[in-house]
Amino acid sequence: MMSLKKDIPLYNIVVYFIVSVMTISLLLLLGYLEPTSNSIGGEILKLNTHTTQTANAVTSVVAYFRSLDTLGEITILFTAVFGVSLMIEKNQKFKNILYHENNLLKIGIDILFPLIILFGIYIILHGHLSPGGGFQGGVIIASGFLLKFLAYGDDFELSHKIVSILESISGVAFIVLGLLSLLAFDIFLGNILPLGDITKLFSSGSIAFLYLFVGLKVSAEITILIQYFIKIRKGENGN
Amino acid sequence: MITLLIGAMFIMLIILTIAINTTTKTANSIVLFFGYGLISTVLYFLFSAPDVALTEAVIGSGLSAVVLFITYLKINKQKKGVNDES
Repeated sequence: MMSLKKDIPLYNIVVYFIVSVMTISLLLLLGYLEPTSNSIGGEILKLNTHTTQTANAVTSVVAYFRSLDTLGEITILFTAVFGVSLMIEKNQKFKNILYHENNLLKIGIDILFPLIILFGIYIILHGHLSPGGGFQGGVIIASGFLLKFLAYGDDFELSHKIVSILESISGVAFIVLGLLSLLAFDIFLGNILPLGDITKLFSSGSIAFLYLFVGLKVSAEITILIQYFIKIRKGENGN
Repeated sequence: MITLLIGAMFIMLIILTIAINTTTKTANSIVLFFGYGLISTVLYFLFSAPDVALTEAVIGSGLSAVVLFITYLKINKQKKGVNDES
């Protein structure tokens, strides 16, 4: 990788050129930015108040107006994790990392771990009220597990069976909610539950449940991905 | 005042990208990648996009940098013990 950088200076020059042009154009655009102009964003903000009852307009775009794209994103993430797991499983060359036992790290992470998981669950459940949502909360939960893997090494391992069952249940539930709304209202991934009051936790109908399933699926997938990255297999390592 | 600050942050982003591409050590460029994610998080937040800022903080400067570090450690180790295979 390093020799490739030294061999091709043209690559560096092209990268600098593209980045500086983008930055200068962003700087020029600073004076012309106007929120809620009469573009599609303003229309969505107007629709948002009486069709979806979500306090966070971004969530209603992700999980209601563009929910088919979200299904595509979940599929892409699943395919990426599948490919990585196949590739690492087949490759015999990578070795395990050496772990040094550190009690301070272990105790600190034992204190931090439930707080991080709680924060991730909060971000997922309040996706339709505050910034965040399924993807961000799922990755926060996975980063909690990442700290656990880093502190404990080989002593801490999640069983693939439970994680894959969780992941497939949440993925199936996402599609089942969409199919139910297709049966009821002829709209795939529409809203089938009562809307409720804005700014309450149980509001915005099935958007909250769709985002909850997205969060579960993303957290399971990223956790398994990190587990594949950190530990390859037992017995074969050359330590 | 705030416009000056934002401009300074954009210039820092340019400097960081150049540094990421020109450092000869891979570990240094990974650490600079953390800094790039942090500055762009602040910029997203200042442009009133807290959703994107949260995503950038979690994925861009948190998870992907750690995954890059793990990969770097593994590849380094593989280079050291490369004599026994191929």
